[in-house]
Amino acid sequence: MTAGSIRIYGYDNVTQWRQARRLIGLAPQEYNFDRYLSIRDILIYQAGYFGLKPVDVTERADMLLERFGLASKAKQDYMKLSGGMKRRLTLARALIHSPKLLILDEPTAGVDVELRLELWDLLRELNGDGMTVVLTTHYLEEAEALCRNIGIIRAGKLVALEPTRDLLDREGKRLQDVFLELTR
Amino acid sequence: MNSVAMFTLMKREMVRSLKIINQVIWPPVITTLLYVSIFGLALGTRIKSVQGVSYAEFLIPGLIMLQVIDSSYGECSSSVFQGRFMNSIQEMLIAPMSAGEMVFGYILGSLARAVLIANMIMALGFFLVHTLPSNWPLYFGVMTMVSILFSALGLIFGLMAEKFDHLAVLTTFAITPLVFVGGVFTSAQQLPPPLRHAELANPMFYTIDAFRYSYTGQSYLPLWLSVTAIAALMLLAMGIALRMALAGYKLRT
Repeated sequence: MTAGSIRIYGYDNVTQWRQARRLIGLAPQEYNFDRYLSIRDILIYQAGYFGLKPVDVTERADMLLERFGLASKAKQDYMKLSGGMKRRLTLARALIHSPKLLILDEPTAGVDVELRLELWDLLRELNGDGMTVVLTTHYLEEAEALCRNIGIIRAGKLVALEPTRDLLDREGKRLQDVFLELTR
Repeated sequence: MNSVAMFTLMKREMVRSLKIINQVIWPPVITTLLYVSIFGLALGTRIKSVQGVSYAEFLIPGLIMLQVIDSSYGECSSSVFQGRFMNSIQEMLIAPMSAGEMVFGYILGSLARAVLIANMIMALGFFLVHTLPSNWPLYFGVMTMVSILFSALGLIFGLMAEKFDHLAVLTTFAITPLVFVGGVFTSAQQLPPPLRHAELANPMFYTIDAFRYSYTGQSYLPLWLSVTAIAALMLLAMGIALRMALAGYKLRT
């Protein structure tokens, strides 16, 4: 970042970085789990880095593993999980410290249709629970189906940031056509 | 301060060490057992006493220092590099965890491993050679400072390295040769004068000389000089490691 400032729920990400980071959950595109920890410990240690003691977070870790269909794998090594399970573990880890803002980097890249629909349902559920979700995606149908607001970035510049409905109504076209017009 | 994060990282480092116990805990203990058996108990009987103790007794503190140095550097350098290589270090970078908490977390984890290995060798020394430290505060004090010094060096090289091979550069070309000539196997008094003076430029010499004092109550250099030199090097290495972590060197850049 070379200019400007970022505020997360009012907290400056530079001067109040601890408060700001506590509110963010991040699920990166690439799997970056700790290979020395079990699946359950991946969640508990991540919470530890956020300042939460194991005694306060164990119940939530078990609840998330249950919710994401990973409870039976809790003691296993993450490398034994299928691609879909790893993707769900990424989401569970991002949620372990109860963030208010969830940032997902290409959450459905390279997953099959069934899992993609499953993840869509999960994201709708989280959003329904009051969590703000920022999603980066190359799948325009995903943005159209899930997002209330869409931003389009071209060569590092924000060329559109509007409610999805306005973007589509104004142009009277499909999102794919709007995207191609804005980015050409 | 997020002390929970710091101790979580320390615990994580200890879990890592136990998961790879056959690579990092047993080898130094077994190597030491071989050194003591061959050099101390077999060949050492032909050597007259060194610094007023048997050669085997002389050897034990040097061997502990050798393994403390090796294990501290190895732990931090490989863990940090692996974290960067596998991107798992991002778990800490996105958390409300400061550079200092991260550096101290790694160092405490590394120190725990070094103290465990050192005490296993100390027990070995007691059973095989019937020797124990006579000055326990000095035993733990010097061990802690030396472990912190080499853990911080491990952190620096773990951040700088571009491939695993780079981590071995410091060990192969500096740490191992300097430790071996730094007084693990020989007393400075046994060396010819030119080499004896050259030892003063070897930082390992100060660590081994001060640590051996905790066993034998004797040292070649005045104790205060060795301890001051170790403390100064420790602070310097920690300062550099903290500075690099704070700048996000090869972490956020």
